[in-house]
Amino acid sequence: MIWMSTITTGWGVISMARIDHTFASRIEMFGGIDFTACYNCGHCTAVCPLVEENASFPRRMLRYTILGMEEDIQSSLDPWLCYYCGDCSETCPRQSNPGEIMMSLRRYLTSVYDWTGFSRRFYTSRKWEFGSIAAVAAVVVLLFALFLRPTADPSGLINADGGVKINSFVEGMSSETFVSVIEIGDWVMAAIVSFFLLSNIFNMYLKVVVRNRKVSPPLSLYVKEAWNLVYHFATQIKLSKCSDRTYWGLHWLLMSGYTIMFTMIVLFLPWFQVEKIHPIYHPQRFLGYYATFGLLLGLIVWSVQRIRKSGEKHRYSHSTDWLFLVMLFLTTLTGILVHIFRISGMVPQTYYTFVIHLAILVPMLVVEVPFSKWSHLAYRPFATYFYNLINSARMLEEKKKK
Amino acid sequence: MQKESGHAEYDVLVVGGGIAGQEAALNMGSMGYQVLLVEKDLSMGGKMLQLSKVFPTLDCAACIATPKVSETARHPNITIFTNSEMKDLSREENGSFSGILVKSPRYIDEHACTGCQDCEEACPVIVRDQYQYNLVGRKAAYIPFSIASPRVAAIDIDNCILCGACERACPADAVDFRQEKEEMPVRVKTVIIATGFRLFDPTVIERYNYRKLRNVITSMQMERQLVPTRPYNNVLRPGDGKMPDNIAYLLCTGSRDETLGNPICSQVCCMYSIKQAQLVLGALPMADVTIYYIDIRAFGKGFEEFYRQTFDMGVEFVKGKVAEIDGEEDGDLILKYEDVETSTIKEARHDMVVLSVGILANRDPENLFTGGELDIDEYGYVRQPAQLSSPASTSMEGVFVAGTASAPMDIPDSISSAGAAAAEAAGYLRKGMMK
Repeated sequence: MIWMSTITTGWGVISMARIDHTFASRIEMFGGIDFTACYNCGHCTAVCPLVEENASFPRRMLRYTILGMEEDIQSSLDPWLCYYCGDCSETCPRQSNPGEIMMSLRRYLTSVYDWTGFSRRFYTSRKWEFGSIAAVAAVVVLLFALFLRPTADPSGLINADGGVKINSFVEGMSSETFVSVIEIGDWVMAAIVSFFLLSNIFNMYLKVVVRNRKVSPPLSLYVKEAWNLVYHFATQIKLSKCSDRTYWGLHWLLMSGYTIMFTMIVLFLPWFQVEKIHPIYHPQRFLGYYATFGLLLGLIVWSVQRIRKSGEKHRYSHSTDWLFLVMLFLTTLTGILVHIFRISGMVPQTYYTFVIHLAILVPMLVVEVPFSKWSHLAYRPFATYFYNLINSARMLEEKKKK
Repeated sequence: MQKESGHAEYDVLVVGGGIAGQEAALNMGSMGYQVLLVEKDLSMGGKMLQLSKVFPTLDCAACIATPKVSETARHPNITIFTNSEMKDLSREENGSFSGILVKSPRYIDEHACTGCQDCEEACPVIVRDQYQYNLVGRKAAYIPFSIASPRVAAIDIDNCILCGACERACPADAVDFRQEKEEMPVRVKTVIIATGFRLFDPTVIERYNYRKLRNVITSMQMERQLVPTRPYNNVLRPGDGKMPDNIAYLLCTGSRDETLGNPICSQVCCMYSIKQAQLVLGALPMADVTIYYIDIRAFGKGFEEFYRQTFDMGVEFVKGKVAEIDGEEDGDLILKYEDVETSTIKEARHDMVVLSVGILANRDPENLFTGGELDIDEYGYVRQPAQLSSPASTSMEGVFVAGTASAPMDIPDSISSAGAAAAEAAGYLRKGMMK
């Protein structure tokens, strides 16, 4: 625990913070590397293209980490306002990787917001990381093995156009029922994911807005600033402020592809997963192809960059970074295979690949969205929302004073 | 001193004629040893002779250095070769070293030249003056600087157009374009390396725009503007000749920076910048001076008091390493930095910026001995294997190191180090060299 006290000296009142040297070693488990070399010159903050008047990072966060000022870190939005352009790490005179410490603090904050304590285990233990993914995958496979076993007679599973009927595998289950079962599964999963993610966001809100107590925004401001959520979720425009704008383009391509795919699968499953194979110009198909292209391109480029350690952004990879890329890559790959097998009329291959596809997709979403790297899809826009909320509230208060 | 083998023989070879080299040579000479002093440059004196005043006493640098140069030049036991270098130094069986002294031509008869500067007047070629750190021009036929030793002209043959104007103008017939490189074999019993340092070239830091923005200068350029023999006879910014009234110093330019391959402290930049700030306040009483620092390292005798005094004189100290310098249309400069004390990002406008450049190792000693016997440390300085028990000794027996050839240090430390090197070299000779 940090305690603050004040002493009165000849120079006036000085606040004192107790330092906690164990905090730095805890952050090392979240990926921080060589950051204690920092000599506090502020060069990183000065080169950062993203800092603003009320958001000055990364030096301060680095300092807080070294001193172990945990509460100041927990109530800060700075880690989420950093998009890891890498300029700071590249030019750091001590090579203390300020960009990587911001990344590590994002992982740490993800674990702090998560009230279940699962996220912390996930980030700091390989056993928990791979074990939890394997466990959820096993549940998916088990559900299929118990309730959605394939029919023994594959005849009649081929459409007139030669493709595989994807919704008629299970004996005695109509195509409509099958889709409904999968859809219910989707909604159950979405409900679980949303429950944890939203409660974590609420926890974040408590830490950065409520307990921070610097300002108390009126309700009208919450509504007025809400556009930030939609705008920043859809555009990730802050990322485009980095000197390398191609990264933003690639990220947007992948993210939009992923969102389209997710929307089609969860919200429009009866429209998306149909027996008939649509002609190529049908939106269901070209949206799918767009999503696949975006996902593949992003994943391949970033994997290559992480392997080559090219640029500061990809120099250090936490195991969760790789898990994120690999899971998403396998999801995309099995999705493509299901599509190919369907078109080619290969019945058993279609079924088993479909099961594997779900056994990768489901754990990825259930585990990573509320508890790990995927959570940034919510924390990033919410951080910008809270940041603008606090700033507007502060301006409002200053205006009132005048 | 010619012997039958054709080698000129000396007791000690001192490589480098800066303040450390002179001190070592004088000590050895006064102990009765025959000294060969080899200086690469056209003049003795090294970097100290270019400085205005020294910290923290504010003594005039030239007033200390010039008498020392004269004393060295006139010492009966010291033989000086300027514009010369040693090559192929190697150890012989009896422990002494033999090598070749290479004297480059200056195309002037050193003994005939009177230093009257008529050739300079006649020469039609103007190039940048390296002794004024490119602030002004000089001729291709020139005397390096007013207090050069020897005060003898030289022809800059790379820029010379061979028009012969100097030859016609010279009243002493000293110009001689037929001069060639001279090589003479030399044998010495011991060697003192006093090759000094290089200054960091800030053009490699692209964000500082040195050379692109003309009002961004190095600390050595500022130093030249503060000496009595200064090029503009005043402190002016080079871009437009305006008298600056808001000057910034950027400490640790090229020092303590892993990205530039020089992670160590240069030891002198804090103090020389503080000294220059005081001198600027003297030269331009209305000027504001701001020093941007990472840490102020005022560790030596009288340093902290000097720093406090400068602070009290009104020089502003800002903790924060400047990330970028941008130019305005009127020649002013915008610095971007984080004010670390308040943790806010700031921009500041100055009309002149001085980059307090650091010290880098002079790489010359690496190739001094054939076979690379001399150990060099990770930063390019001559390694001191027994820094505490025998600070001047190197990895080679009979070879000693003095001054900034071993590490960054200030002038008093360089002189002390040269004294130690002379004492150790003398002890080595008295003991009868290698056992």
